[in-house]
This record gives sequence, structure tokens and C-alpha cells, in this order.
Amino acid sequence: MTTSLGSTVASTTGKERGGRSRRGADLIVKSNLLLVFLALCVVASLLAPQFLTGRNIANLLQQSSLTGIVAIGMTMVVLTAGIDLSVGSVAAFGGMTVALLMAPGMPVLPAILLSLAIGAAFGAVMGGLSAYLSLPSFMTTLAGLTAIRGLTYLLTDGKPAQAGESEVFQLLGGGFVGYVPIVGIIFVVVTLLAAGVLRGTTFGEYVYAVGSNKEAARLSGLPVRGVITTVFAVSGGLAALAGVLLTSRLTVGQPTAFSGLELDAIAAVVLGGTNLFGGRGGVFGTFVAVLLLSVLRNLCNLLGLGSFFQMVVTGLILLVALVLNMLIERRGARA
Amino acid sequence: MTGTEERLRMTGIVKRFPGTVALDGVELSVRPGEVHCLLGENGAGKSTLMKILAGSYQPEEGTILLDGQPFRPATPHAGQAAGIAVIYQELDLLPDLTVAQNLLLGRAPRLGPFVRRGQRARLAREALDRVGASFPVTTRVGELPIAAQQLTAIAKALTADARVIVMDEPSATLGESELLAVFEVIRSLTAEGRSVIFISHRMDEVMEIGDRATVLRDGRTAGVYDLASTGPDEIVAAMIGEASELVGATDRPAPGGEPLLRVERVHVPGLLDVRDLEVRPGEVVGLAGLGGAGRTTLLRALFGDLKAQVTARLDGRPLKVAGPAAAVRAGLALVPESRKEQGLMLGLSVSRNAAIGALGRPPWLLPGRLGRRLARPALADLGVKTAGLDQLVGQLSGGNQQKIVLAKWITRGGIKVLLLDEPTRGLDVGAKADLYRQVRHLADQGVAVLLASSELNELTANADHIQVLYEGRNVARFDPRTSPESVIAHTVITGATA
Repeated sequence: MTTSLGSTVASTTGKERGGRSRRGADLIVKSNLLLVFLALCVVASLLAPQFLTGRNIANLLQQSSLTGIVAIGMTMVVLTAGIDLSVGSVAAFGGMTVALLMAPGMPVLPAILLSLAIGAAFGAVMGGLSAYLSLPSFMTTLAGLTAIRGLTYLLTDGKPAQAGESEVFQLLGGGFVGYVPIVGIIFVVVTLLAAGVLRGTTFGEYVYAVGSNKEAARLSGLPVRGVITTVFAVSGGLAALAGVLLTSRLTVGQPTAFSGLELDAIAAVVLGGTNLFGGRGGVFGTFVAVLLLSVLRNLCNLLGLGSFFQMVVTGLILLVALVLNMLIERRGARA
Repeated sequence: MTGTEERLRMTGIVKRFPGTVALDGVELSVRPGEVHCLLGENGAGKSTLMKILAGSYQPEEGTILLDGQPFRPATPHAGQAAGIAVIYQELDLLPDLTVAQNLLLGRAPRLGPFVRRGQRARLAREALDRVGASFPVTTRVGELPIAAQQLTAIAKALTADARVIVMDEPSATLGESELLAVFEVIRSLTAEGRSVIFISHRMDEVMEIGDRATVLRDGRTAGVYDLASTGPDEIVAAMIGEASELVGATDRPAPGGEPLLRVERVHVPGLLDVRDLEVRPGEVVGLAGLGGAGRTTLLRALFGDLKAQVTARLDGRPLKVAGPAAAVRAGLALVPESRKEQGLMLGLSVSRNAAIGALGRPPWLLPGRLGRRLARPALADLGVKTAGLDQLVGQLSGGNQQKIVLAKWITRGGIKVLLLDEPTRGLDVGAKADLYRQVRHLADQGVAVLLASSELNELTANADHIQVLYEGRNVARFDPRTSPESVIAHTVITGATA
């Protein structure tokens, strides 16, 4: 299952595991993002000896996992040729609701599940509006971005909310198993689940079909609207999960949290080789891209480069990766 | 303009794609002032050859001489600049721009940074007049009927000073009178010494307009013919190679039994009002009619793809279709008019396309494995030629693509009624015969078939009876065994029975 990390070319052919011809050459093309990532890690460990310490790696995972979880949901949305701009607001709302529910004493599990359900419901409404009324998801989720952020502030009039004293809850977002942060494990599990759904279920096959040609999918009798609504619900639910995990780590819900999250998530999706027009790509590419962006940021920190510099580097890397992907894809199409 | 020198010579052209050799040493020679027909079955390499000429593809081997000079266009732009104009089957017009904007796209007359609109309109008008089109140049292209769009595309090719004009099946979307107008244009072009390469599947057109013909088969030149001294049969034989079954008359008795689909009325206000139409199991009912007569509307209404009042019974039970998904559950299957836009997911593999409709069953797991298992026998039965189950559908020829659309329904199983909308559009003789053979095979298994086509000879050859639609109503019913084609054609055009 490691054949399709990376570029768009990768994922179109990578899902079929029977492609026997030119397998070796394909593998290199497919895993180019993984190679870049590994190269970057080598460079990082040479430039900054602290990079390969367990503490740093743990830190890195901790920081990237929340964005990563959201980016996995985003990947599913983008595979259907949609986009979800509301994830930052939904995540903040999820973080606030879980705090507000637990403060008066609601047990941990129901509070979390309720917060996730609200996030999924937000997603389902925006995705459903887009699917059933043929509105561009760019617009419905842009409206959601503003409205849900506003709702988040309204919950407490803009103030942070204490999440109560539950230790189990705090462990979720801030705890470690050995050196591995629990959020990192959650990120990996979410990725594996999403990959399983996309590759191993009929629903996943429908996601690719809808993204590849909505009209043909509809005339093939597929439940196109249901598929679109569902991926947005998944994206909303995963965004709320990120919010819950952040509240758990900080022990307070921050209504201002996660602004601009949607752009980080989309950047990771695109860098991971998922086609913005739908139908091609997958979550493993996104997974590697999230780590790659995180390592880059981490390296800048270790080298003492300021955050302004980091923004420039991140943007440029994204650009270079897109151009490289395009060139590889073009060569693949001509070969 | 001496007839012996050559305008264009393509020699030993080789082009490979992953898994296939599209062109394997093709020769093509075109004289000035000649209409040269390029013929061949789908997948024979016509489009690939023309894309090489236009600069869209680069050949692996071979030389091109244009007016004696070596010519190797690296981009479509270079091809255009050298005087190669290609009018593709899929029109490359921008639907949201006006006719004038499209005609002079990138070449609009300017004064500094400003477009000289008046002059542009005048130039566009002249270009339209040359092709005998009378619609205003300020119309948005997307609002024009398809035939007018075709004329616009031809006019656009003429605004560039072209030495060689390639027309890729211009007739596929044109009616009789528009086709005559296009032929007029072609004759005036050749009279000026320009060369026209004309791609078509209709032999009568080829015989009428063509001077010579090159036949491609399996990526090679199968022969060059002087059309004045060659009969169509000889050319068709060259196209298909060894003898294969041509579209032949239905030679079996009409199926009896209770109707499987009994349509009392399908009503779309202002568009369609069809009454009393029955299809028996194993029966192929043809829908004839002019463009806009309601054939597509009827099929879409039955399939639940547009709002309509449908009073019908399927298998004795009232047919209620809320949408395509419900229609599919009820046992209806549609092969839509446009296979690329409505039928297939071009960016996905053969097996994924072929099996996509069949996956909605418990346990809803491992669709890839299930899809391959279902697709393999279906594709083998249909005789689909691919480089493998993983090949992208977008890389297949038209005939094979259409078979994948059929395969989609075969893998699903449980089809009771098959709705076919222009299933042979853009297919060559061999692929057409092959497709109809598959349709008849399905009918023999008890499927009721509704077949809409604008090719009357295909309907008379393949349908058990023919319903003629005229302005949204079914005006007459013919048995092709007893009614001559000319009588049916008369009704198709006039709406009246002779």
C-alpha cells in the first residue's frame, strides 16, 4: 500500500495494484513526494543536530497532527471536486462546544461525540446546500466560514471557555505514549481509516467517480448528492475533532483558534498530489505533505529563522512542488 | 496549382502511446486544391495523424513536407502559423464569448490596447458570409444551435490564412441543408488552391465531395484511392480489412409476448407529448425524428433525468422514477447522447468505469476487486480492446468507449429496459455493426430496447419497429420489413404519413 505516496500521477494509477508494466520507474515517479520528504529530513538532521531528537520529533507530530486531521477531511472533499473553506471556524466551534459542555459536568465521551456531531452537521448542511441546490461549495463554505466563526464568538461573547478538570480529557490532546503524542496516533488512525474508506469501500469508489465526472456518475445511478453531503459531513466532523483536541491540550476553548486553518489544509492536500478538480489523489499524499510542511517549519525554527521567513519558504516550496508535479504528470501523459 | 506537385507529404509517421502503437508508418500525400478524404475505423489513427499535423502531438519517427519544405510543428500555434487549420469534432469554441470574439480570438484588430470592435464585427461578418451563415456575430456561441456552432468553427479556421484545412467529421452534427452549405464552402476553398482533408464516416458524403481518399487501418496506410474510379464497397472493404458483418437487416421475427414497458403518456409541457408506446422483451424499438423532435427528451424523461409527467408501466407495475438512481433501481439503463460528458469518467480506469454501477451492493467493500471480477467477463463479451483493465478510458477509441458505457450496465445486471441515445455517433462502420450486435445480443436475453438515432438506415436495419417523433409527438409507427426507408424518411421530415 505504499505505492501511491505523492504526485497526482501516482494516485491515478497507484490505486490499481495490478499495473505490472514499468513498475520500477512508476514507483519513483509515484513516491517523489516521499523522496523529497526523506531528503528534507536528512538535510534537517545535518543542519540541526537537535532535529532527530525524540523530543523534537514528538513536538513536530504534536504540532502537525491537528492540521493533518483536518487536511484528511479536506482531501475527501477535494476528491469530489469540492472545497471546504469553513474548517477553521468549525474547528473553533467544536473546541468551544466541548469546553462548554464539559464545564457544567457532562462526561467526556458524550461531550466529545456531541461536539463532533455538531461539526458533522455543519458540514452536512453546507455540503447539502451545495449538492442539492447546485451551489458552488466554495460559496456555501465561505458563508459558513464567516457565520460559524460568528456563532463561535456568540457562544461566550468572545471569551475563552474553561473545559473543566477531567484528566482523561487533557490526556487526549496533550498526552504521550512513550515519545509519541496521542494526537499523532489519532492522526495516523484517521489517515488509515480514510484510506480504507477511499480504497476499500464502494463509497470511496463513488467519491472518485463523482469527482471525475459528476454528470456521468449521476446518469450511472450513483447517489451523487448523498456522496457530496457525506464528504462535507466527514470534513466538518474531523474539523470539530481537531478543535476538541486543541481544547484538550490547552484546557480552554479558544474562540479565536484555527483562523486560516483552511489554507494550511488545502496547501497540504494540493502538495500531496490531489487534483483540485477532483477524481485523482488520495490521503497518503496528504499525510506526507502535512509532515513535510511541518518539518520545514520545524527546521526554520531550529535554525532560528523568523516566522516571516518561514511563510516565504513555505509558499515557495508549495510552488516548486506544484510545478514539479505538473512536469512529472505531463511527462507521464506523453511517455 | 498544377495538380502533380504536392501540398503535403507525411512519410513513415510513427506514434506510440503507452501500451499501443497508434501510428505505425503512415503515409499521406495531399495535392493543392484537392479534397482528400481520410478514412478508417475508429482507432485506425486518423485523429492521431491529424494531431501530429496540427502540432498537438510529436511523432516518434517520420517526416512531413509542407509545400516541399520540411515541417515539424512543435505546438498547435506553430501549426496554425504555417497554415494548418484544424476543425475538431469537439468544437474548440468558447461558449460564453460572442461569435465575433471567437472568430478573431487572439487576432482581434487593435488600436493600442483597445479592441477595434467595429472592425472586428466587420471581419467576423465577412467570415460568416463566406460560409453562408446568417446569424448575427454578436450572438454568444453557447446560445447557437450545434450546426451554427459548426459553421462558426469553420469560419474561424478560415480567418487564418490556411493552406491545409482539416475537417474532422463536420457532418456528425449537421443536417442536410447545412451540410450542403459546408460542401459549397469546401468547393470554394479548393477552387482557391487550398487543400482540404476531410474525415467522415459517411460514404455517400465522401463519394460526393472527395477527390482522393487515404484509408488507414490499424495505424498503417491501407490504400490510396482515386474516388472518381473507385466504388464505395471497395473502400469500405479496405477500411475493415477482412470481411466482417456490416450493418444488416433484422432477419429474425419480431418478438411477441406482453409488453415489458408500456408507456401511456410522457408529457413535458411545451416539449414533448408522447402517447401509447410499447416495448416487448427482446424487442428493439427505434425512435426516428429530426433534431429537436424529442427523442432525447423522451429518453431522459423515462430515465427521470428531467421533470416530466410519466404514466407508464414496467413489467406490469406502475413506473415511478424520481431520478436516475430510482430509474436504475427500477431496471432502466441509459446510454446517453454524449459518452464523454455524460457516459464516462475519462480520468478513471477501464475497470472502474465498467463496474461503477455494480458496486452498490452489500457488503460495500473492496470495490476494486469486485469491479475487476465483474468487468473482465463483460469486457471480453463485448470485445473491448484495451491495453488492460487499468488503462484510462480517455485513451480508448470512440467505439471502445461506447462499449464501456454498455459494460457499465451489463456488470450491474438486472436491466429490463435499455435506452440508447445516438449510440453510434462518431463510430465507424465496423464499430457500429459491432455495437448493434451487442445490443441485439442483449435484446435476445429479454431486454427491451428503445433506440434513438438520426441515422435512419441504422434504425431500419436494427429495429423491430420504428416510432417517428415529430415536434414532440409520436406521429407514426412503421415496420421496417414492409415500409421502405423513403416512406419513413418522408414522415420524419414532414410529420405526415404518405
